[in-house]
Amino acid sequence: MAYAAVALGFVLALNAAGAVNFAHGDLVVLGGAVAVVVGQSGGLAAPLLLPLVALALGAVGIVAARVAIQPLAGRPPEATFVATIALAAIIEHGLAVTQGAAPRTAPALAGSGSFDIAGFALGRQPLAIVVVGGTLVAGVWFLLERTQTGRRMRAVSSDRHMARAVGIPVSRYVALSLALAGALAGIAGLLLGHQFLVAPTQGAGYMLKAYIAVALGGWGSVPGALLGALGIGFFETFVSAGFGDAWASAALYVGVLVVLAFRPQGLFGEPVGRRA
Amino acid sequence: MSGPVLEIGGLAVNAGEVVALLGGNGAGKTSLLEAILGFRPMPGPVMLFGQDVSAMTVEHRVALGVGYVPEGRRVFAGLTVRENLEASSMASAAERRRRVEQMLALFPMLGERPEARAWLLSGGQQQMLALARALMNRPRLLLMDEPTLGLAPLVVADLLHRLPQMAAGGMAVLLAEQRAGLALGAASRGVVLSRGRIVRTGSAAELAADQALADLMAGG
Amino acid sequence: MRPLGAFWLAALLALPILALALLPPFGQRMVTLVGIYALMGLGYQLVFGQLGALNLAQGALFGVGAYAAALMAPMLGVLAVPVAILAAALPAAIVAGPILRLQSHYFALATLALASIVNLVAVHAEGLTGGANGISGFASSLPRRAVLLAVVWTCLVAGVLIYTQLFRGRLGHEARLLREAPLVAATLGIDGGRWRLAAFVVGGALAGLAGAFSAAISGVVSPDVTGFSVMVLCLTSVVIGGSRHPMGAVVGALLAVCLPEMLRDFQDAWLLVYAVATLVIVRWAPGGLAELIDRLRGLKSPVRHKPTVPERLLPVTGAQRLVLDNVVKRFGGVEALCGVSFVVGRGEIVGLIGANGSGKTTLLNVIGGLDRADGGTITLDDASLEHLPPHAIARKGLGRTFQTLMLEGDARSSDLARAVSTGAAFLLLDEPAAGAADRERAQLASLLRRLRDAGRGIVIVDHDIDLLTGVCDRMVCLDRGRVIAIGRPAEVRADPNVRASFLGVVEAAA
Repeated sequence: MAYAAVALGFVLALNAAGAVNFAHGDLVVLGGAVAVVVGQSGGLAAPLLLPLVALALGAVGIVAARVAIQPLAGRPPEATFVATIALAAIIEHGLAVTQGAAPRTAPALAGSGSFDIAGFALGRQPLAIVVVGGTLVAGVWFLLERTQTGRRMRAVSSDRHMARAVGIPVSRYVALSLALAGALAGIAGLLLGHQFLVAPTQGAGYMLKAYIAVALGGWGSVPGALLGALGIGFFETFVSAGFGDAWASAALYVGVLVVLAFRPQGLFGEPVGRRA
Repeated sequence: MSGPVLEIGGLAVNAGEVVALLGGNGAGKTSLLEAILGFRPMPGPVMLFGQDVSAMTVEHRVALGVGYVPEGRRVFAGLTVRENLEASSMASAAERRRRVEQMLALFPMLGERPEARAWLLSGGQQQMLALARALMNRPRLLLMDEPTLGLAPLVVADLLHRLPQMAAGGMAVLLAEQRAGLALGAASRGVVLSRGRIVRTGSAAELAADQALADLMAGG
Repeated sequence: MRPLGAFWLAALLALPILALALLPPFGQRMVTLVGIYALMGLGYQLVFGQLGALNLAQGALFGVGAYAAALMAPMLGVLAVPVAILAAALPAAIVAGPILRLQSHYFALATLALASIVNLVAVHAEGLTGGANGISGFASSLPRRAVLLAVVWTCLVAGVLIYTQLFRGRLGHEARLLREAPLVAATLGIDGGRWRLAAFVVGGALAGLAGAFSAAISGVVSPDVTGFSVMVLCLTSVVIGGSRHPMGAVVGALLAVCLPEMLRDFQDAWLLVYAVATLVIVRWAPGGLAELIDRLRGLKSPVRHKPTVPERLLPVTGAQRLVLDNVVKRFGGVEALCGVSFVVGRGEIVGLIGANGSGKTTLLNVIGGLDRADGGTITLDDASLEHLPPHAIARKGLGRTFQTLMLEGDARSSDLARAVSTGAAFLLLDEPAAGAADRERAQLASLLRRLRDAGRGIVIVDHDIDLLTGVCDRMVCLDRGRVIAIGRPAEVRADPNVRASFLGVVEAAA
C-alpha cells in the first residue's frame, strides 16, 4: 500500500513534468526523516505527523519543480535526467550530513502492538498503513476524477499546448502536481519508516521500485502504476517468503529486463510506430 | 466596445464577422493564428479587444476572450466529452455545469455520448468537441485552423453552417482554410496569405468568383 | 568536438609526469585515482555525452572489472587487467542488443535494473565474491604505486587522444546527428543501432579497465564498488567536467578526488557540495568546467560544420528507377494512401502536389522507410524497400529532406546539402522552398536542375506551384491518398479535378 503511494506520486510527477524525477525516492526518505526529527522532539501526536509531513514535502516538491524540472523543460532529456539525479544526491547527502547515516526509526502511526480480530492478530502499524495508503489513493482518485483541479491536471498531462490554449495556467499546474507527488512521497516515507527504518541511502531503492511499477503498468497510466506497485508488493512478499529478500529483488530486476527485452513498449504500452 | 476585436499585421477582424483566412500549405495561416494566441512572437503589436497583448502569456490572452480550434482537433484524449468541456471552463462550478449542458444540447453529436472517452470519438465528433470546447468560455474571438480537414461532407456542412449563427450573436470568427470554396461560403469576407504576407483581400463573393484563386491556393 | 589543443595536452601530460617526479606516495596515489575515475568517465562520455543515452550501468561495469581483476590476479598477475576489460565488455555486449532498442526512459530503467542485479550478486554470492566482506590479498599480483600510476595514465592519455581524434571529424558529426535528430541520421544511412552498441561496449570496457585499476590501488574489493554511489559519482563528475569536452572526464575526476581532500573535516559534505555543483552546472554552464575554462582562455565555441553542396556534382551510380506500385498505408481505420503508383527515373524531377491532408508527406515517409506500407511495393530497380529500416534504404541510394528543421542552427540548405552529400541516386525533398525568399527560390531551382542534369532522380513536394512548374518534368497530384492526375505541369494545373481538389466542394456550404 505504501509502495502504491510512492508509485502514485511518481506517475503524477511524470505526467506533469514529462520526465522521470529521479529524486522521487529520496523524497520518500526525506518524509521519513522529517517524521523522525519531529517525532523525536516530542510533543506531537503521531497522527498529526501526517499533515505536517505532507505539507513539508509538498513544499519540497514545489522547490524541486522550480529548481530542477521546469527551468530545463526546453532542453534535451539528459538535462532533466542529470538535474533530478543531482537533486537526489543533494537530498541524500544533505540528510547524511545533518542526520548521520545510521538508520533511524520513524514513529509508528498507531502505536505498536496489534488488534485482536476474530482470532487473528492484526498489527496496528500495518493496519494503519493500509488505511492511510488506501485513503490516499482514494483521495487522489477523487481529486483526479471528480474535481475541476484534477480534470485540469489531466488535461495538462494530455496536451500541454492545448491546455494553455483553453486558459489553463500550465506552469502552476505542473508545480501543483509535483507538490502533490512530494506530499505522497513524504507520507509514504512516514508509513514505511517505522518498519523499514529511515536511512539516507534508501532513496535509490524506492525510486527504482516506483519506476518499475510505472513501466510495467503502462507508462503514464495512473491505474497502471497502482497495479504495478501492488503487483510488485505481492511478488516480493511471495518470493521473499520462499527464497528470501535478495532473491525477491533479483527476480524482480531480471523480470523487468526480460519484459523490456520482449516488449520494448512496456507491458501495456502502445506498439512503437516509427522504426527509426 | 467599438473598434476591431483583433488587429494584427494589417489584418483587422470586427465583432460579428466571419473572416476567411486563405492560403495554401505553408502560406502562414497557422503561424498567424499562433502569433495571435501568443505561441509565437510577432514583429509588431497584437491588438486584442483594443489592448496590446504582445506581452501577455497565452493563458492570459485566452482568458480575455479567445477560443481556439486547432488543426488536428487536439482534444484531451483520455478525458471524456464532458470532462473535456469542463476542464476548459474558467467559470465557477454552477455556471460551468450549466454551460456544459448548453454545449451538449447545442451539439447533438456530443450530447448523445457525453461520457465517452475522447479518443474513441470519430473525426467529426472530435471536431465538434474541439469547437464546443473552444466555445465554453463564451469567446469574443474564435480562431479555427482547417476544421474541415478529413471530415465527411455532411459534417463539414454542419460545422460551417454554425459559423454565421455564432457570429450573429456578436462573436468574431477567423477561419483559416486551404479549401477556399468552403470557407468563403461561410464567411462575409476573405484575406489571402502567401508566404506570410497578405496578398489579397475582398468580400467573400468577389473572392469566390475569382478563377485565378485556385492557382494561388495550390501555390501558397 | 574541437581538437585537444596544446594547453590541454600539456596539462594532460604534465599531471602524471610531475606527480611521478615530485609528489610523495600519498600525492601519487591521488593522481592515480584521478586517472582511474577519468578512465571510467571517458567511457561514460561515449554513451552519455556523445549519444545522449541515459545510461546508469557504468558504475556496475566498473565494479565487474574490479571483481574480475581481484579474482584473476593471483593466477594471472597483470594479465588480470585485460580479463577484467573483457569481463565488463562482454555483459555490455550481450545485454546491449535488446536494451539499446528501448526508448530513453525504458533504457534508463533497464540499465538501472542491470546495475542492481550486479550489486545484488556482489553482496550475496558469497562463494564467488566474498559477500559483504569482499575479496582482498591480491594486490601484490597487480601493479602498484608508481608503476600503477604510469600504467593508468598511459591508458588515459592514449584514450583521450584517440577519443579526440576520432570525434573531431565524421564520427563527431554522426554522433551529434544521432543525438539531436535521429530521423535525419537514419536518412543519411547512419545505423544508430550499431553505433549505440559500439559506444556501449567500448564505454563498458573502459569502465572495466578503470575498475581493475581501482582494485589494484585499494587492494580490496567490496560490494560498494558496484553500488549506485559510484554511478552517481561518475555521472556527476562527467557533467561537471563537461560531457562532450575532450578533457571533461579528467577535469571532473580531478575535482572528485581533490574536493574530499579539501573538505576532509566535513566528511559527507563534499558529496553534497558536488551534487549542488552538478545542478548549478546543468542549469547555467551545461558545457561543463572544461568548456568554461576554454571560454576564459578566450576560445570561441567550436564552429558547427555547415554542409554545402559542392560546385562540381559528381555523377552517381546506382539504381535507375524508383517504382511505386499500388502503395497503401492505413492509420487506424483511415486510409492515408489508397493505391499510389508512379515511376521516377534518373535524370528527372517529379513534383508531388496536393491539398493539406492529401498524403504527400505520408508517401515520402513510406518510401523512405519511416513508416511501413500496408500494401503495394516500392522498388529501386530490383531491390524492394518495403521491409527495410530507414538507414538501409538510405544506403541503397535514397536521400531525403524534412519539412521542419530538426537540428538547431541548421538552415534549409544544410538539410539538402547533407542529403546530396550521401551521393544518393534518388532524392525525396519535402518542401525545400518553405519560408524561402524569392532569390533563394531561384537558387534552389537552379540547384535542382543541376542535380537532375548530374543524373539524380528527384521527387519534390512543395506548395509553390510556380517553382514546381519551372523545374519539374512531371507532376503528380494527390487527393485524399489517391493519384488524381499525372502529367506535364501545365496539363496537371489545368486539370479540373485538380482545381476542384484545392478549392473544396463549393456546394457543401450555404
